[in-house]
Amino acid sequence: MKRILAIARKEFLHILRDPRSLAVSILMPLMMVLLYGFAIDMDLKNIRVGVLDFNRSAESRSFINEMVSSGFIVESARLSNRKEIEPGFRQNKYRAVIIFPADFSLSLVKDPVTQIQIILDGADGTSAATVANYLNAVTSRINLSYAKEDFGLDILPIETRTRVLFNPELRSAHFIVPGLAALIMMMICALLTSIAIAREKETGTMEQILTTPVVAPQVIIGKIFPYMVIAALDATLIFLVGKFVFGVPMNGSWFALAGYSLIFILIALSLGLLISSVAKTQQVALIAALMITLLPTLLLSGFIFPIASMPAVLQYVSRVIPATYYLEIIRGIILKGVNWYPRMGGILTGMSLFLIILAIKRFKTRLD
Amino acid sequence: MIAPVLYLIRKEFLQIFRDHAMRGIIFVVPLIQLMIFSYAVTTDLKDIRIAILDNDKTIASRNLISALVESDYFKLVSTAPNPKHLRHNLLTSDADVTLWIPLGFSEDLATGNGAQVALNVDGSNSSIALRALGYTEAVVRLQAMKSLESFIQASITIPSNQTPSTNWDLQDEDQIATSPRIVPQIMNPRLIEPVMRFFYNPTLESRYYMIPGILVLLITLISAFLTGMAVVKEKELGTLEQLMVSPLTPAQLIAGKTIPFVVLAYFELAVATTFAILWFKLPLVGSIPLLALCALVYLLVTLGVGLLVSTISNTQQQAMFTVWFFLIFGILMSGFFFPIENMPEIIQKITVINPLRYFIEIIRGIFLRGATFDDVLPNLLPMLVIGLVIFSAAIMRFRKRTK
Repeated sequence: MKRILAIARKEFLHILRDPRSLAVSILMPLMMVLLYGFAIDMDLKNIRVGVLDFNRSAESRSFINEMVSSGFIVESARLSNRKEIEPGFRQNKYRAVIIFPADFSLSLVKDPVTQIQIILDGADGTSAATVANYLNAVTSRINLSYAKEDFGLDILPIETRTRVLFNPELRSAHFIVPGLAALIMMMICALLTSIAIAREKETGTMEQILTTPVVAPQVIIGKIFPYMVIAALDATLIFLVGKFVFGVPMNGSWFALAGYSLIFILIALSLGLLISSVAKTQQVALIAALMITLLPTLLLSGFIFPIASMPAVLQYVSRVIPATYYLEIIRGIILKGVNWYPRMGGILTGMSLFLIILAIKRFKTRLD
Repeated sequence: MIAPVLYLIRKEFLQIFRDHAMRGIIFVVPLIQLMIFSYAVTTDLKDIRIAILDNDKTIASRNLISALVESDYFKLVSTAPNPKHLRHNLLTSDADVTLWIPLGFSEDLATGNGAQVALNVDGSNSSIALRALGYTEAVVRLQAMKSLESFIQASITIPSNQTPSTNWDLQDEDQIATSPRIVPQIMNPRLIEPVMRFFYNPTLESRYYMIPGILVLLITLISAFLTGMAVVKEKELGTLEQLMVSPLTPAQLIAGKTIPFVVLAYFELAVATTFAILWFKLPLVGSIPLLALCALVYLLVTLGVGLLVSTISNTQQQAMFTVWFFLIFGILMSGFFFPIENMPEIIQKITVINPLRYFIEIIRGIFLRGATFDDVLPNLLPMLVIGLVIFSAAIMRFRKRTK
């Protein structure tokens, strides 16, 4: 125990001696949460739509007004002929162009169905689908108001009464903050510890440690401890900012949140130490840590991209990524108020034990 | 003048390739990443898990359910016995969306009283929730419009015995032009139908949009990190002094330290692009020389960042952390994941200084829309300015230190 504390104290001194890295590891999470809590919005707003109106009638104008008044769409360009459509897409002036044919208003009173053409920039496929959806909804609203005037129909035949549970206003901060917490903790922890052993190897102080009577588990645990303090501090900051700045609700128990977060931090730290005991140089250790943590946590954990949409193989890969479980757990605790996750909690605990033991084992083999 | 630079370049390459972990990091890891992430970054929502409670059990309600299930978006996970169970499905994350069709649905639909369905969405994952909501409402709306149309059809057939209804459905535009028919105003429904056409990517494959972004990430990681660390490493090991006392001028030193990474980054871009085109069938509509030119301007930025950071860092850890710090901000504010136009105005203004934003925009334009030089110019110019500023700042700091 004394030896563990001695190693921990030595590691603390290392950290304190490099104030810039310490500042990065504490200030950066704070800045990230503040910035992204405000900046990230999954919902499309201010969709830029170009208008090519050959008709120029009261009807086409009222269509445009109805479209713009929804608040999601802005008219960003007024075109005068079809040749202008393509260059506008290439210069990214709008996401869609809506074309009213010359006989639009005439056709409206004469034909059973009046067509308008909508051309969308499919390059960003997901947004294009959403934009199409919005424009369809606008058309439906207009059709309905015509039906009301012409036939006295007052209501849509089927009305959906929609309720969003757990996050009624669909505030993206409520969903981003837990995701950022997982991402930041994973990266900070793994990056900090990834060099903890590699540095000793590179600077030659490893031999000195090896000549002392400490054994592998003591080194590993002693090295984990100080970083655990930093990571716990980071986590606390993130969740507090989430609650008090962004008003993320806390429907579950803080105790459960802290418990699962500690297990997750332990995983990230052990992963960093494992990388560190395998890598020969700091450079390799840092890059490996970055590649193993940053992009997988960002892309494969369900933080941004839905796991259900991935190919089957990647869905299996996402099950090896600790953040996948942690994210689901903390979203559940914070937003749904469900505190108890025996299966996922068990998997996380298993992962942390496995990684710590592996780090200790790998460290041992380097002793001889 | 040139010869010493060549020696330095040779030394740098030897140093990179000697380390077999570095060889892996440069040649193997990016391809694996490209492979995995290109499969992962699909934002198309498939298999939204829906739980349905149908208390109505009529043809109309079954029509609505099959319209949902037969679209590609939904997967029916359970048919709940009661409303409470639906909520439980959301609470345990067994379903993303629940739909309750209450008793009397078909009756209200038939009488035009406005039938109601209850749609509940799990909002805890709002990236899924928003789109799940959109898709479900779209399907329901389509059903609603269908019954609205049949309702309208039903009301116009009543007075239609007064007019010849024979050519009502058969009419085409010529007939309208030549034989104007007299039809009571009320009989013609004013109904607009949007005809959608998608340019550039008709199947709306979100992967095509994401892969160019991944290419940018890969060459950014390689060029900024490796340059930054290559210089600091010499500093840490004390070999930088040896280079300083050599007859190399600072300009030669900088050229020797950056050219290898320009070569590597180009190599990486070429391999990754070829791979993306052959494997993922990513279309490359625009011109390759234009892509190469824009990449060169972008490398000016990343190499400048790497060099600048190396002049203000003493250890590799510091260099890594500093680059990483800027990179995270750069990535998340580049429009790669989150459209810039959704951000608050003040943050949109901050993104003006983000070089990644411009390059991602350029590379997407060239790959997917066939953007020409004129099209990319509004993005290329700011990127060039940023690159020149950063690179000259790096050179100035570097000079000062060598003196």
